[in-house]
Amino acid sequence: MTDFLQLTAAGLSQGSVYALLAVGLIATYTVRHVVNIAQGDYATLAGLGSISLVSAGLPLPVAILIALVTVTLASVIIERLVISRVKNLTTLVSIILTLGVSTLLQAIMLLTWGAEARRLPAFPGSDLNLGGVSIRSQELWMLGALVVVGGGVLLFYEKTRWGKALRASAEQPVAARIVGISPAAASIIAFAIAGFVGAAAGVVSSPIYLSIWSGGLLLGLKGFVAAVLGGLYSFRAAIVGALLLGVLESYVAGYVASGWKDAVAFFILIIVLIIRPAGLVLRPNAVRV
Amino acid sequence: MHRAHRRLLIPAAVAASIALAFTGCTASNFGGDNGGGGDATEEGPIKIGAVLDITGVGANLGVPEQNTLNMLAEQLNEEGGINGREVELIIEDNQSTEDGAARATTQLIENDEVDLIIGASRTGPSLAMRPLVEAAQVPTISVAANAAIVDGSEWVFKTAQNDVVVIERILDHAEEQGYTKVALARDATGFGEGIAELITELGAERGITLTATEAFEPSATDFTAQMTNLRAADADFVIIWGITPSAGLAQAAYVQIGVGKPVYQSHGVANDAFFEAAGDAAEGVIAPMGRLLVADQLGDDDPQKEVIDRFIADYTEAYDTPPSSFAGHAYDAWKIGVAAIEEAGTDPEALRDAIEATSDFVGISGVFTMTPENHSGLTADALIMAIAEGGRWNLLEE
Amino acid sequence: MTLLDTTEGAIRSKTGFWPNNRATIIGVAVLIVIILIVPFTASSSMMNIAVFSMIFALPAIGLSLLMGLAGQVSLGQAAFFAIGAYTHAILLQKFEMPGVVAAIGGGVAAMLAALLVGLPMLRPRGHYLALATLGLGFIVMIAVREWEFTGRTTGIYGFGRPEVFGIPIDNNGLFFWFVAPFVIIGLVLALNLTRSRAGRALSAVNDSELAAESVGVNTYSLRVKVFTLSAGFAGLGGVFYAYQVQIVSPQVAEFHVSVELLLMVVIGGLGSVWGAIAGAFIVELLSEGLRDLIPAIIPGATGEVQLIGYGIVLILVILLLPGGLVQVVRTVWAAIRGRAGRRADAAAARAAAAADATGDVPTRAFGGLRARAGDADADADADAVIEADAATNAARTADLDDVALPTVSTPVPVGEPILEVRGLTKRYGGVVAVDDVTFTVPAGRIMGLIGPNGAGKTTCFNMITGAISPTSGTVSFLGEEIQGRKPHVGAVRGLTRTFQNLQVFSSTDVEGNVYMGRYRKGRAGILRGMLGLQGREQYAHERVAHDILAAMRLGDVASLPAGDLPFGRQRMMEVCRALALEPALLLLDEPMAGLSGHEREMLAALLRRLRDAGLTIVLVEHDVAQVMALADTVAVLDEGVLIAHGDPESVRNDPAVIVAYLGTDAEEAKAELEELEEHA
Repeated sequence: MTDFLQLTAAGLSQGSVYALLAVGLIATYTVRHVVNIAQGDYATLAGLGSISLVSAGLPLPVAILIALVTVTLASVIIERLVISRVKNLTTLVSIILTLGVSTLLQAIMLLTWGAEARRLPAFPGSDLNLGGVSIRSQELWMLGALVVVGGGVLLFYEKTRWGKALRASAEQPVAARIVGISPAAASIIAFAIAGFVGAAAGVVSSPIYLSIWSGGLLLGLKGFVAAVLGGLYSFRAAIVGALLLGVLESYVAGYVASGWKDAVAFFILIIVLIIRPAGLVLRPNAVRV
Repeated sequence: MHRAHRRLLIPAAVAASIALAFTGCTASNFGGDNGGGGDATEEGPIKIGAVLDITGVGANLGVPEQNTLNMLAEQLNEEGGINGREVELIIEDNQSTEDGAARATTQLIENDEVDLIIGASRTGPSLAMRPLVEAAQVPTISVAANAAIVDGSEWVFKTAQNDVVVIERILDHAEEQGYTKVALARDATGFGEGIAELITELGAERGITLTATEAFEPSATDFTAQMTNLRAADADFVIIWGITPSAGLAQAAYVQIGVGKPVYQSHGVANDAFFEAAGDAAEGVIAPMGRLLVADQLGDDDPQKEVIDRFIADYTEAYDTPPSSFAGHAYDAWKIGVAAIEEAGTDPEALRDAIEATSDFVGISGVFTMTPENHSGLTADALIMAIAEGGRWNLLEE
Repeated sequence: MTLLDTTEGAIRSKTGFWPNNRATIIGVAVLIVIILIVPFTASSSMMNIAVFSMIFALPAIGLSLLMGLAGQVSLGQAAFFAIGAYTHAILLQKFEMPGVVAAIGGGVAAMLAALLVGLPMLRPRGHYLALATLGLGFIVMIAVREWEFTGRTTGIYGFGRPEVFGIPIDNNGLFFWFVAPFVIIGLVLALNLTRSRAGRALSAVNDSELAAESVGVNTYSLRVKVFTLSAGFAGLGGVFYAYQVQIVSPQVAEFHVSVELLLMVVIGGLGSVWGAIAGAFIVELLSEGLRDLIPAIIPGATGEVQLIGYGIVLILVILLLPGGLVQVVRTVWAAIRGRAGRRADAAAARAAAAADATGDVPTRAFGGLRARAGDADADADADAVIEADAATNAARTADLDDVALPTVSTPVPVGEPILEVRGLTKRYGGVVAVDDVTFTVPAGRIMGLIGPNGAGKTTCFNMITGAISPTSGTVSFLGEEIQGRKPHVGAVRGLTRTFQNLQVFSSTDVEGNVYMGRYRKGRAGILRGMLGLQGREQYAHERVAHDILAAMRLGDVASLPAGDLPFGRQRMMEVCRALALEPALLLLDEPMAGLSGHEREMLAALLRRLRDAGLTIVLVEHDVAQVMALADTVAVLDEGVLIAHGDPESVRNDPAVIVAYLGTDAEEAKAELEELEEHA
C-alpha cells in the first residue's frame, strides 16, 4: 500500500508537468489549430537556462524569473518569425513546421549546454514522510505550479472576456475581433501563454527529472496526449488526463517494467484516436456546417 | 515535345547533384585484396582503429578513452613507432549505439583496413562488433566489462575487469558483513544483462539470495519507480549496477526515496562523474574497481604503482584532469596491442596469437595473463574495494 | 508515340512497366550510369554516404507517395523501417531462412503493421494518421528494446551480409550495386503509380474529395492501400539497412530517423518521387557534412550536431521553398524558357504537368504550400487561355444538336422507378432542414427540384448523392439503399452529379477531369498501376474522354488546366465528366447558373437528347422557367417540406407553390409568376 501511494504521488507530480504542457498546447491549438511539437522544448530551454543563471551566481528565484520571461519571449518570437509566416497553415503543415522548430531548439541547446543532463538546485522546503510515503518538497512545488499557473490560465480563459474570445477564435475569428483582439494579437497571446506554461513546467521539474537537450520532445508529446484526451479544447479535461497519465505511467514503471513507461502515453493516444477521435470530452457547439 | 524537355529537369538535377558530390575521388570501394580483412603487408603505417562511445550515454567512458589513445599514439610515434613503422590511429564515434558501432567497425575493416581494433566502450556496442570482427578476422580488444564479449571468442579480447570478478568481490564483502539478501537495480543495456543470473549463481555459494531486480535505461533521469520497488524489497543490501551518469542519478534517487540500505555499485562508476551525478548521495557507497583512482593510497610495494603513477602524470599533463578507470582500460588495450604487434607484426593470426600469449603484463587495471581460452586475463586481484567519501574514491580499509 | 499520334494528336498515354516517355527514360538512364560509375570514383566516405542514401531512398519514396498521393504524413516511417529490418534479421538469424524469404518477410511485416494502423486511422481526414504513426514509432522502439525476442537494447546481430550468385556482398561498392536495382525498380513502380488510374484518382481526391467520390473513387480504400504500400517501401529499406549494418538495434526505430525521412521528402518536393531520391542524398550529405563542420566552428560540440541543419533546413524549406527542390528546378527551367519567349507553349507544358513524368502530385492537404508554389505561373497561363478562347470562338458557338451522344446506361425500362426517396429527413440541432420528403423518380425522365432559397434543395440533393447522411429516411437507387453511404457507393452503380459550386480537379487538365469520369468503368488497381499493366484500359478511357470533349465542343481546350477555363466551359466540363461515367442517373445542381443564354439553350437541348436516349436526370434549379420548360415532373420544396410534385402544368397552378414563392419575397415571386405565365 505504501508503494502504491508512493507511486501515485510520483505519478501525480510527473503528471503535473504534462498538464502544464497540455495547457500550452491547447492554448495554441484553439487559436491557430497549430499542434506545437516544440512545446516540450520550452520546458527544457527554461530548465537549462535557469541552471546556467544559478551557476552564474544569481539567486534561484531571480534565475527562474528570467528564464520564464525569456522563454515566453522566445515562444512569441517563434510565432512571429516562423508560424505566422505560413498562410493557410493546416494542422498537418504546422506539425511539420514545429517539428523543424523543435529540432532547431534541441540543436541549439545541445551546442550551448552540451549533451549531459543537468539539475537545477531544489526549491526551498524539506521532504515529508507520510506513513512511509516519502514526498519530496519539489514534488509539492510541481503540483503547486500546476495549481497556480494552470489555474491562472484556466481563470483567464473561462472568466475574462479576452480569454473567452480567444478560446473561440480558431472557429470564430469574429469573436476575438469584437473584444478588440486582432487574429495576429490572438496568436501572439496564445504563444506567450504556451511559452510561459512550458517554461514553468521546465523549471519546477528540473530539480527532480533533470534537464537535457533532447528531453523536450517526449515531454511535449506526452503533454499532447493529455491535450488529446481533452479533445484539444478542454483545459480541465486535459489537466485531469495529464494527471491520470502520470499516475498510470508510474504504475506501469513500478508494477510492470520501467522500460515500458514511455509507451503508455502512445498506447493511450492510439486507443483514443481509434475510439473517440474528437477526444473524451464533447465540445460545446461542435456542429460543423 | 517541349514537355519532354521539361521532364528531363528533375532527373537531370538529381544526376547533377550526385555527380557533384562524387568528383575527384579515386579510392577503391571494392574492399581489400584479401577479402576485406586486415592488411597483412609489412609496409606503410600500421593502422589501429578504435570504436568508442564518445558521444551519447557512454560519453563519460568514451571521452577519456579517446584522450588516452590519442596521447599514447602520439608518444609512440615520437618514439619512432613500432619497429620503425608509423602508427596511424583512426578513432570512430559510435554515438553509444549498437548500430553506430557496427557501422564504424565495417568502415574500419572495409575502407581503412585496420590491423587492430580497440573498442567499444560499453558491452552492447562491443557485442555488436563481435560478429563483424570475427568474420573479418581482425584482432579486437574491447574496453568494456561484460564477460559475454569474449566468451568463446577467437578474435576478441578485453581489458576491463570481468563482471564476474566484480560481483565476486561485492558478494564476498557483503558476506563478511553478514548480509543474506540482496536487491538489484541494473543497467538495462548489455552491461547489465546477465548480472541478475550471475548474482543468483555466485550468491548461492555465499548464502546470499537475490530478492528483487529492477532495470533502468542509461539515458534515464527518473528512477522513482525502481527505487520504490527496491525500498519494498526484502533485502539487507542493494547493488546498483550501471555506468555514470545514470548510476549516479539512480544513487541520488535512492537516497531521496529513502531506501536506507547499504549500497554497492560496480566498477562502472569508477570516475569523478559519479560524484557530479550523485552529489551528497554518493557518500558511503562501496564499489570494487581498479587501483587507478586510489593510486595515492597504494603501498609502495604494489606492483602496479609505478605504471599507474606514470600514467596519471602523463594524462594529467596532457589534459589537465586526472584519468578515470576507463582511461586505464584504453591504456591497457593499447599497450597490449602494441606489444603484440611489435612481436608478431600485422599478420592477423600471428597478432592474435601474440595477444593470447600476453603474460604478466602490468597494466592500469591489473596484471594481465591471457591464454587462447582466457581472453580477459584479469583475476579478482585486479580489484580493490573503494568507498565514496568526501567527493572521491578512497581505499576501503578491510 | 506514333501509335497514339492520331489526327487529334492530343491523347497521351503513359503506360507499360518501363517508362515510355523520353524524359523518364533519360532520367532513369542517367541514374543508372551514375550508379555504375560512382563506386569507381567516390572516396570511401562518399561511398558510405552513397550506400546509406540508396537505402534511405526507399522509405523516402514510400513517404513521398503517402504525402503526395494520399495527402497524409507519417511521422513514424522509421517504425516500418525498423519492423522490416527486425523481421529480416530475425528470420535470418533465428530461423535461418534464405535471404530472399527473409527480405520478403520484412516488407510484408511492415505492410501488415501499416494495415493495422491505417484501417482505423485513415477513416477520419486530417492529422490523425500523423499522430497515430508518431505514437507507433515510439511504441515500436520501446517494444523492440524491452522484448527478449528482439534482443533488447543490443538487438539482433551476427547474420552477416548477403551473397548473390556466390559472390559475397562484403564491401560498399558491391553493396551499392546490390541496392541500386531495387531503388530503380521502386522508382519506376512509384512513377507508374502516380500516372495510373489509382494515382490519378488520388490526386483528384486531393483536389476535391467530394467530386472524386462522386465519380466512384473509394477514397478511404485507396488511402489505406497507399499507406500500406508506403510502409512496404520502408520495410524494404529496413531489410537493406540490416544487411548493410549487420545489426538491428532499437536505434533504427528512433524518432530522429522518421524526422530524417520526412526531411528528405520535404527537401525533394512534396510528393515528388524523383525529389525523394534527391532528398535522400542531400540529407545524408548534409548530415555527414555538418558532423564535420559544426565541431570545427563550435569547439567542443559533440553528439547529434547535424540536427541544427535539419531544423533550419526544414523550417526554411517550408517557409521559403514549399515546393522543395522540384520547385527550384521548375522555376529555373521556366526562367530559361521564358527567355526563349514562348509563353503559350509554357502554358501548354504546364497543362501537361498533370501526373507527368516527374510523378509530381500537388496536394491539397498541404494547401497553403502548394498554392503559393503555383501562383507564379498562373498569370501567364490565364493569358494563354484567353488567346486560346479567341481562336476557337467559332467552335464554341456551334450547336450540339448534331453531335454523337455519349453512351448512357439504362438499367431499368423507361417509366419504371430508378430512384426512390422515402421519409428523408435532416436535422441540424433543432433546425429541420429537410422534413420527411418522399418521392420517386421514373427512369428516362427529367425531374426538376425547385423551391425558394433555403428550402432544402441542396441538402436533399446531398443526401441522395451521399455527401451528407440523413437523420432518417431511405434513398433507394436501383432497388438498393444507399443513404448514409459515401458518394462512391452510388457512383459505381451509375449515380453521379455535378456541383453548384464547381468542383474541378485543378491539378490536371480538362481531359484529365473527364478521364476521371471514366473511373467507375476501370478495373486496374494499385498493383496493376505500378506494374504498368493497364495500358490498354487507360488508353481506351482516355480515348472516350477525348471523344466526349470533342463532341461537346471542348476538344480545343482539352489540354489546358481545368481551373483556367471560363466559368461556363468549366460547367460544361463537369457535365462531360459526369457523362463519362455512362451514368444511369445524373443529378445536376443548378446547372444553368452562371451560363450565358446561348449556353443555357445548348445545355437544355443536350439534356433533352440525353433523356430521349434513356438517361434519367434530376436537376435542382433556381431558374424556375428553365425547369418548367425542361422537366417531365417537378417537385417543389419549401422550408424542407415537399409541397408539390407532379407535371409542370399542375405544379405551376398549385396554390401552395404560388404561396411559397409569394411568401418569401413578394416582388420576386410576382416576377417569377409572370415569367411562368409568359412561358406558358
